[in-house]
Amino acid sequence: MNDVVKIDKISLFLVNTARAAAGADRLKDIEKLAETILKLVPKGASVFCPQSTKLEKAAIGKLSRMVPDYSSANITVEEVSAAIAETGSIVCDSKGGKSLQASLLPSHHIAIVPREKIFATLEDFFDKCSGSPPTNITLITGPSRTTDIELELAIGVHGPERLDIIVV
Amino acid sequence: MRKQTSLNFRANAVRAIADSSLRGVVKKATGTFSSKRNIAISKIADYESLRKKASAVREDVLENLGTYLDAFSSNATRAGATVHYAVDAAAARRTILGILSSHNAKTVVKGKSMVSEEIQLNEYLGKEGISVVETALGEFIIQMEDEAPSHIIMPAIHKSRQQVGRLFADKFGVEYSEDTQVFTKIARQVLREKFLNADAGISGANFAIADTGSIVLFTNEGNGRMVTTVSPLHIAVLSIEKLLPSLKNLPSFIRLLPSSATGQQITSYVSIITGTREDGEMTGAKELHIILLDNGRSEILAGECRDILKCIKCGACINVCPVYRTVGGHSYGWIYPGPMGIILTTLLTGLANAHPLVSASTFCGACDEVCPVKIPLVELIHKLRVRKVSEGFSPVKEKLGMRVFEATARSPFLFSSGEGLAKIFWPVLGSLGGEDIAGRLPEPVKMPFRRRME
Amino acid sequence: MRIQLFGTCLVDSFYPEVGEAILRILNKFGVDVSFPKGQTCCGQPAYNAGYLEEAKGTAEHFLSVFSGTDLIVTPSGSCAAMVKYRYPEFFRAKTTLRAVADNVAGRVYELSQFLVHVLRVHETDLTRNGKVTYHPSCHLTRMLGVRREPLVLLKAMQGLELVPLPDAARCCGFGGMFMAKLPEISCALADEKAADIISTGADTVTGCDCGCLMNISDALRKRGSAMRVKHIAELIAEGI
Repeated sequence: MNDVVKIDKISLFLVNTARAAAGADRLKDIEKLAETILKLVPKGASVFCPQSTKLEKAAIGKLSRMVPDYSSANITVEEVSAAIAETGSIVCDSKGGKSLQASLLPSHHIAIVPREKIFATLEDFFDKCSGSPPTNITLITGPSRTTDIELELAIGVHGPERLDIIVV
Repeated sequence: MRKQTSLNFRANAVRAIADSSLRGVVKKATGTFSSKRNIAISKIADYESLRKKASAVREDVLENLGTYLDAFSSNATRAGATVHYAVDAAAARRTILGILSSHNAKTVVKGKSMVSEEIQLNEYLGKEGISVVETALGEFIIQMEDEAPSHIIMPAIHKSRQQVGRLFADKFGVEYSEDTQVFTKIARQVLREKFLNADAGISGANFAIADTGSIVLFTNEGNGRMVTTVSPLHIAVLSIEKLLPSLKNLPSFIRLLPSSATGQQITSYVSIITGTREDGEMTGAKELHIILLDNGRSEILAGECRDILKCIKCGACINVCPVYRTVGGHSYGWIYPGPMGIILTTLLTGLANAHPLVSASTFCGACDEVCPVKIPLVELIHKLRVRKVSEGFSPVKEKLGMRVFEATARSPFLFSSGEGLAKIFWPVLGSLGGEDIAGRLPEPVKMPFRRRME
Repeated sequence: MRIQLFGTCLVDSFYPEVGEAILRILNKFGVDVSFPKGQTCCGQPAYNAGYLEEAKGTAEHFLSVFSGTDLIVTPSGSCAAMVKYRYPEFFRAKTTLRAVADNVAGRVYELSQFLVHVLRVHETDLTRNGKVTYHPSCHLTRMLGVRREPLVLLKAMQGLELVPLPDAARCCGFGGMFMAKLPEISCALADEKAADIISTGADTVTGCDCGCLMNISDALRKRGSAMRVKHIAELIAEGI
């Protein structure tokens, strides 16, 4: 019964990430993660990764152009702390020394979502929020965008121009 | 100082009506906003219940605002922020200048904030030698054109792509283009350097959360995130009524605000900022100042129009207003246009400075239908009309005309003479419009219907 | 059955043919029509402009004229809404008048409401040829909640082709006193409405409120259109 609920949540999450113009993929387990990430990184692109979690370390296994600082990177690869199926959002927060600028400055953000961290609804997520939240919690839904000129949609303004999400 | 021109509403409107390019872009944008809003709302399960719930939350906040503000203040302070209460625009400006000066801050990057327009912050700081760069694309554009925003969500709604193209070609020496993608790439490049090197970031906030002391920003471009996380010094300005009791209230407003404002299910970014950077954290301002602006809102809270303070600044009422659609935002002469603008402008700047605005409504009720927190906008505008009359801002001709109207309507004698209301009242109407209104009306009939019924 | 007819000031002075049409319909259905003498206006022009005392004075007169128990029928959504919702508010503090206001408010029907819910006119044979488009007045729909009834009546007319009006819910710009105080905006809105109406290719535009129809007539005339403007009462009277 639990498995069915989880699968529904993941499918819903992926449908909504697509609606928000994010690329999305789902992996059975960690095995194909490095290969999947490799396919998303263009030749010559420099990559930043905090490399602090098991998934992050596995993710960059096949990459060669790593840089130590997100401000000079083309791409950030990182594990995020949660996701919300209802809206197709990923959640980044400042707990544990994580830098949110890493998902803001580079033009391409690749987010790894552990499947057990997907919440079904906004209520599910916020009900679990602590009464003393970390300094910054940001719900990210798709790449940056604007419609400020004649309401025409343009993707990619100051934040990333591209967001890819891998559910593991 | 940009002067308020609300007293010239009619003349402003007449000019706007003659500007067919302006009318074209405003009509198209408001129409698109409204359709997108309708589609987004149709996807929300049980939207009416959500509206009622959100309306009740906002009413509770207003009912207990003092308590919630105290809680917010102490929780924000506990998290490391410094909270300042600014009684009016001058106090807010002085406080902000003081903070910037004490850090010797000369360059500021700024996110969109209607309240910062209300206090005329940019001009004031500019005079003190502090350069403020607006970073939201719409605000970036109108800053370069030295214009006021004409809509609370899309400040450059009155600009066509041709106008923006010419502006960018002029200011940045690039080839003329009408492609939005080109504009955004230029903005990204030009502003990136400013974000990274600014001494301070100034932002608004969509909500403040009482039980955690957090501020919440709904943004799409990423500039809001830059302004609030890249500089070590962050100043957030917001008006006192923007509170929500708890983070648990956020889901309702995450569903309501983006859908009503831009037709999105959710904005690209929802940032919840709580205090300053802690030990071991790599994100967050080292110093966060939160300016809570009153500027007349306590008075409004105590009065008969206090429901306007439930407003969550989504702009949905502006987008459906037939008057706004025809005359655009600048006609209203201040910062807030459309139905919510009529009410807030009149209450904040006073009838003496804004009374023509209360006539700028046909009472069609389209605004009431779309307000996500069920503010009775038509009723509030009507209350202001009653005040306009009782406080002496109505033309004498009109007051006399209304007395004549009542006398005629109550007098069987006047009616039995067969003239009916028309012959007596319509010339009075004509004198109000200052033009040949009789030309727009058909001729009154020789034998009124009542005569046929005798 | 017997009803009291509140003609409205616009019908009285400008559109007596609408009154005549209502009489024809009601006579056909065997309804006795009384036309209380001394009736004038519901008071909206004063009320909407913020003149509460003058509006209340007018309302008091209305209440005295329309005493009784019969249903009150009026060919105007905005007048019906005024009597139904504002009158009880006016006299909240004064007990006797409050009771009268509540009584009158409870008896008032806008015409299409009455025709559909009481007389069930749409269940009889109605014929009317031609292509018609319908403008749903703002107060009728949003204040009184009458959205379906006029369409039920129009759809019941055999031979009538009902063409939807683009952006129908957008205000025509009449707004009562608004037309006098901000005529440029009012004309601009009326012109847009006229353009939408003309685009339907209909030969007739109809509605339930004479204020809107008057404003629309003027705008159509300015555009050189020969389209007929008829209150729904006139269409039904032509069709029974």
